[in-house]
Amino acid sequence: MSTASLADARRGLRIHVADRVAFALALPAIAAAIFAGFLSIAPNRLADGRPLALWQLGALDSAIAFGLLILLFAAAFIRDETWRSKLLFVAGAGLLIAILLTAGATAYGHLDPREPARRISLGSAFWILSAVGSLACFQSLQRVSRTAKILAPLALAAAAAAIAASGALDALSLTREFHAQRATFASELARHVGLVAFAILLACLCAVPLTLAAVYRENARATIFTTLNLLQTIPSIALFGVLIAPLSFLGAQVPLANKIGIGGIGAAPAIIALVLYALLPLVRSADAGLRNVPADVRESARGMGMTPRQIFWRVDLPLALPALISGLRVATVQSIGLAVVAALIGAGGLGTFVFQGIGEYALDLVLVGTLPTIALAVSADALFQIVLANLRCRP
Amino acid sequence: MLRAHKLAAGEVESHPGANECSQVAGPRLTRETLDMWTSSHPLTRRALLAGSAALPLAPVRAAEPVIVASKIDTEGALIGEMILALLEAAGIPARNRLQLGPTRILRAAILSGAIDLYPEYTGNAAFFFAMDGDPVWKDARAGYECARALDLQRSDLVWLKPAPADNSWVLAMRADFADAHRLATLDDFARWTREAGAVKLAASAEFVESRSGLPAFQETYGFSLGARQLLVLSGGNTSATIKAAADGISGVNAAMAYGTDGALAALGLRALEDTKHAQPVYAPAPVARGLIVQSYPQMAAVLAPAFQTLDVQVLRRLNEQIAIEGREARLVARTYLREHGLLA
Repeated sequence: MSTASLADARRGLRIHVADRVAFALALPAIAAAIFAGFLSIAPNRLADGRPLALWQLGALDSAIAFGLLILLFAAAFIRDETWRSKLLFVAGAGLLIAILLTAGATAYGHLDPREPARRISLGSAFWILSAVGSLACFQSLQRVSRTAKILAPLALAAAAAAIAASGALDALSLTREFHAQRATFASELARHVGLVAFAILLACLCAVPLTLAAVYRENARATIFTTLNLLQTIPSIALFGVLIAPLSFLGAQVPLANKIGIGGIGAAPAIIALVLYALLPLVRSADAGLRNVPADVRESARGMGMTPRQIFWRVDLPLALPALISGLRVATVQSIGLAVVAALIGAGGLGTFVFQGIGEYALDLVLVGTLPTIALAVSADALFQIVLANLRCRP
Repeated sequence: MLRAHKLAAGEVESHPGANECSQVAGPRLTRETLDMWTSSHPLTRRALLAGSAALPLAPVRAAEPVIVASKIDTEGALIGEMILALLEAAGIPARNRLQLGPTRILRAAILSGAIDLYPEYTGNAAFFFAMDGDPVWKDARAGYECARALDLQRSDLVWLKPAPADNSWVLAMRADFADAHRLATLDDFARWTREAGAVKLAASAEFVESRSGLPAFQETYGFSLGARQLLVLSGGNTSATIKAAADGISGVNAAMAYGTDGALAALGLRALEDTKHAQPVYAPAPVARGLIVQSYPQMAAVLAPAFQTLDVQVLRRLNEQIAIEGREARLVARTYLREHGLLA
């Protein structure tokens, strides 16, 4: 046999993986569905649960879930891109909806009026499958129009919200924890958003002079970045703690400060800490954006007779805008996560549920704080991405 | 349950003076003065005005809501919800700032006037005033009176009537194990430890190192645990220690816990009786800013009847309903108050 025909034969035998991401997603998902617990049933809130794998659930439920997983696996081998994307989306979105409905319905089936303390929690297989389902959706949306990119995730989120609102998930421990906190949930969520928004606003105001100094004063540059880098390395809980003493002093000594709520605890130290952390991403990206404005562009602007002030407003700033927004994006997403720790110094926010849950060893209560934090961060990130995409498209 | 009971060394307020309690807790503290503060005695207002004259703090906010806070733990939520319900029922406007943070934060908040009222434990006053070696804290009444007198004098804070409960550190073991080895009290535990030595205790670093924690137990009952007999966790989270003892994780068969821990019974653990009182008494009491008690002089009488009923068994049962059965603190608190005719 000649070398050429041998190679031909090999090529004919080899199965072609068209989409490596889908392939890589399908395998761990199938493994998780077989080996990991999909739900866990505990006699009470504190005790360990008995795991229940996906295949141990009702025949129809597990058939649908496994069918969708096989569909996902099969999609990896389809060469035609349009069809592959469609199949991936159907498998991913279907998986997300299917596991939500299955988990909710199974939990109802395991409720026992004789054991009111019994808890049915979501297991690791549920979380792995929901991550795989979401990633498959995102992978399928790679080459669609921008409108579809925005609408498809929104539609999925709306579907999930509708399922939750219908009461189909009410038997799950996570939902019960949420219901137990519903009196304060909205106010803590608003407090969290308020902390972040106020901190970002202040940080932007502080970042303006710092950036201008870093860009246009060579000798200030090193000092500014060394300080900001140093601040970034301080562990968040330590920075929150360190601010308590000076602010308590300020609150006690200056009656006006005390009156407007500046004291050692609560929102004031939390916002200051968040501002300090947000400065580095803001200043660094603004600095990079302004410094990367091509010299010849600036030169021609000067040639057209623009004053330095005009060059800044009409050339430098518009060209650096995408970098500025990128910095804002990093700072916002980072602050949403960091604000969780603020609950420890009395600032409230979603961290209240996280720390209460850790203290009570109630992981579902921790999730009541964590999941909205993730949702907030992801939405903020998506929002900034949309803004950035629009900026880049414009001529 | 995470209970930032104690403050680390160096975080106490700078009040030297271990002898001051023997002064204030002496003859000046009679039954009458106590009642004056803990009931709606007509003298209260005037006495408070006199007391607060020397302490110009935040302004009086008459008719403004009382900001009620609590520690970020189960019992804080429970007692805090009770206080809120009682104040509301009495027509005192209240604002909910429950689950505010650990002890240190609550103390700073009430001193700065950011909050008006929160439940605190009498034994913690030992740390607020850097007097943790003083035996006065081991007596429920004397400890309470000492905390009340010191805080009134120094910070214009009023300790209202405490609950007859003690939420101090306890050592707990699996009930079946304790029965098999006939362990009911810490004396039994000490004897068994000395003879068999097969104990492995899960505890927080604070409990192992703090003078009033494990060292106090060892000194009082005459036993000592080596490094290999301890599983030390960094936080004060007793759910983790209780779970370790209940499930025998890493060979643990004894756990540090709190007296009113709801998790003990649910996971089949039993607290060993502290017959010789090695521990300070941690009785929960509402602590309020003097100015707010002055604005709402009826507050003491509103809260006292309910606190009177909160003994160790009651708190343990209610904590269990929240932490183990997962019921809402708000509902548990209000249901309890209604069942006992304390709330209409």
